[in-house]
Amino acid sequence: MTATGGGPAVRGTGAAAPAGTGDRSRVTARHRAGRLRTVLGLARVEASLLVRSLLVLAGLLAGGAVVWVIFGSVEPLWWNAAWRIGFGQLVLGMAVLVAAQLAAGRARRDSMADLYASFPATACTRTVAHLAGLVGAAPASLVLIGATAVVVQVRGPIGAPSITVLAGGLLLVIAAGAAGIAIGTRFPHPLAGVLGALVLFLSSATSHLGSGGGIWLLPWEWTQDQLGSLPGPLAGYPPAGAHVLELAGIAVLAGIVALTVTAGRARARGGLATAGILALVVICLAGAMQLRPIPTAELNHLVREAADPASVQRCTTASHVRYCLYPGFGRDLPSVEAPVSGVLAHLPARPDQPLTLRQVLSLYLPDSTLTHGHPERQVSQWQAQMQRAPGNAATASAIYLPVGWWPAAGGRLADAHFDVALAAAEWAARIPHQATGNPNGPVFLPCVPLDQAREAIAIWLAILATRPPAGELQDGLGGLGTGRGFQGVEVRNTMVPTWAYPGWGASYITSAGAPQTTAAGYLLASAMLRLPEQKAARVLKSAWPTWLNWHTTDAQLAAALGIRMPSVPAPPAPFRTPRPGVTFVQPGSGPQNPLCTA
Amino acid sequence: MNPPGAAGAQPESSATAGSTGEAKPAPEVLVTASANIPRTDGAPPAAGQPIPHARRPCLSWLRALPLLARPITRTMPWVTLITGCLAGTAFLAVMARVAGTSHSPLDLGTARLAFLPAIAALAFVLRAPFRPVTQVTPVPAWLAPAGHIALAAPVLAVACWAQLRIVAHTIPLRTLGHPPAIYPVIAQLTGWCAVTVAAAACADRSRYADLGGAIATPASFAAIALAWYAPVTSRFLIEPPATAHAVTIAWYSIATAGLALSCAAMRDRWHRYTRSRHRLSSPQRNPP
Repeated sequence: MTATGGGPAVRGTGAAAPAGTGDRSRVTARHRAGRLRTVLGLARVEASLLVRSLLVLAGLLAGGAVVWVIFGSVEPLWWNAAWRIGFGQLVLGMAVLVAAQLAAGRARRDSMADLYASFPATACTRTVAHLAGLVGAAPASLVLIGATAVVVQVRGPIGAPSITVLAGGLLLVIAAGAAGIAIGTRFPHPLAGVLGALVLFLSSATSHLGSGGGIWLLPWEWTQDQLGSLPGPLAGYPPAGAHVLELAGIAVLAGIVALTVTAGRARARGGLATAGILALVVICLAGAMQLRPIPTAELNHLVREAADPASVQRCTTASHVRYCLYPGFGRDLPSVEAPVSGVLAHLPARPDQPLTLRQVLSLYLPDSTLTHGHPERQVSQWQAQMQRAPGNAATASAIYLPVGWWPAAGGRLADAHFDVALAAAEWAARIPHQATGNPNGPVFLPCVPLDQAREAIAIWLAILATRPPAGELQDGLGGLGTGRGFQGVEVRNTMVPTWAYPGWGASYITSAGAPQTTAAGYLLASAMLRLPEQKAARVLKSAWPTWLNWHTTDAQLAAALGIRMPSVPAPPAPFRTPRPGVTFVQPGSGPQNPLCTA
Repeated sequence: MNPPGAAGAQPESSATAGSTGEAKPAPEVLVTASANIPRTDGAPPAAGQPIPHARRPCLSWLRALPLLARPITRTMPWVTLITGCLAGTAFLAVMARVAGTSHSPLDLGTARLAFLPAIAALAFVLRAPFRPVTQVTPVPAWLAPAGHIALAAPVLAVACWAQLRIVAHTIPLRTLGHPPAIYPVIAQLTGWCAVTVAAAACADRSRYADLGGAIATPASFAAIALAWYAPVTSRFLIEPPATAHAVTIAWYSIATAGLALSCAAMRDRWHRYTRSRHRLSSPQRNPP
């Protein structure tokens, strides 16, 4: 707790020596110089204590961990990542607030008031030094910015960082420290600093306190923005410049409050009150600027990008497959193309209908943080346009990749590759995207290719194209293989065990209408993998149209390949007595998934 | 708590470390009852000797318990504890007000967040400011902090009850399905309290005893965050994926372990200093 413990005394920080025979102005000048020297000396000590504070170090580590967790595995988009770095700064700011409160309250804690009163430096001088010593919190903040920026750069970001947003994080830390000093000068008990830090955290961590444009008034909005779903930076979202101004105003106001508490002279308090009013005006002005609606032209452009992506995207055709990506996302092309090419390489014959892979926006538009301040009629128009966005319609000849979900590297990228490969293989095997209900409604049940040879072929193609680890594929059966559990859907009053493929449910592609894979299809595909690849390819090529027929069964395919049809473990029988946490649905009583047909 | 420029002026250090002229640094000094220390019958201990403890007949302190109730109650940091509890409750009341106007009910996650200020206040309850003095009295030194914890328990229980009532008040009567179970939340909050008490008790036995609460609060918050977000622990401590029964059992187990650790720390008679005696006895290093 170095920021609050003892430290070395400041050299040359004694009170200015009284003038012996000089005139009044020289005495005043020397007094001022001496006081400035005292302030600078004390500030240097306080800054040094803050730099070496264990609390600040812990806050830096915690902030880094928070940013790491928030970044996750998706590829970084700088217009989103820069704001997310601010979350780490918020955590660091909490630690700086507590450390600064402990330092500022030092003189009044543990009956030390008399001792400090005997020192030549006044309480006001010490407060000024504390405020100037907040420079000591800047290195930790800059280290956090630098370290996270390096991580983002290493993972291959899209876009460029906003210096204003990053500077806002630094100002947040300074403002939190100033607030800590203001608290510490009035309330020396350490609990006051902890409560101040909690207020800082809770104001940003809950979604109840801000809505619409008001979310930007919070110290650092955490939960409600859609920055990660944007295809590029959007002007005024967030209003970074105004937010920096607000944070600067808060820092100044907190400093003025701290000085007002410790200032002894009425004249000084009058000046501080004036400065405080000015700071309040700046904060209000910044707040008003943040509440301004996003320009209509910007939102029109965003809606057009979402509803009619073809008008802005750059398309590339390779092996008769179109890849359409938003400007700036071109570096993703090889990563998206690889699994599709892998499927095409093993395909006996291609469908007549061409395949398109297209990026889409997963924006939620009736969101008041985007549309606040615009008339209802305009918002309804935008909403109607968004309904026509391509990602909302289920079609087998297009694979939609939502912006902001594509992984940067590692196992998640392999899962995303398998997702794309399986979708391409389902297109090749002509498994339609049929479903009951609406993807955005309460009930949405995709079709199940129950006992259809083409499902096993699609899975076989996807595995061949991406070669995922066998253990991960087997894990998709859940407890079915070991008899410890069962996952399934109901089709035609029959419980069908399902298979969760790698990356299932991870939103790497929009799964509107994508068929539900079955355990039988996976087990047959894995049996096919044990055959020589040429043999399986020859059998498929010999009667390709037959295998694509939805009436052709798994057993027929197994017989043609000369293998035994793998047995699918039966679902466990219901318990005689109910068990906690286990729910059995009797066949015929639950919702029914449709069967995938022609 | 030393002001800058007065480093080394630790009253506890000078009282217990004793030695003034040794060149070799001593990493820690043991102060405990020892059979080798001769009893001096009222005479003050010689310089350089640890302070001997008073002889305590077995369980004699039980007879002194009624007499101790009043000083323990008076030295209890009521303002700190009640401030923490009220801060969380006030935050929850504001949130309930906002939730009422926006028609979005509060969840138990908000109740957990609102309990954090009470947890933070609890970390400051354990501090015994005159431990070197109470350690030489005929009653055990752990009696005062244990009494403070016992007094804090009902206050925390009332705060928890009030906060859960506020959350329940925001949930409309006609909701789909069953409301979430309360007992895992109570177990979780009990576990958080026990972890905080254990952290405070350990910090109180370290060189950071003066700021034990300020150390214990971030430490316990870090432990809570780790339990919440680390994949290894969240499988057992968070519902879902764990069941309500499993969460309850896991948190009460943690609470039991935390209380055991607290008891061990509170009964610990050692006083550790990492600064060397040479530094403690060299005020000339720090100019006035």
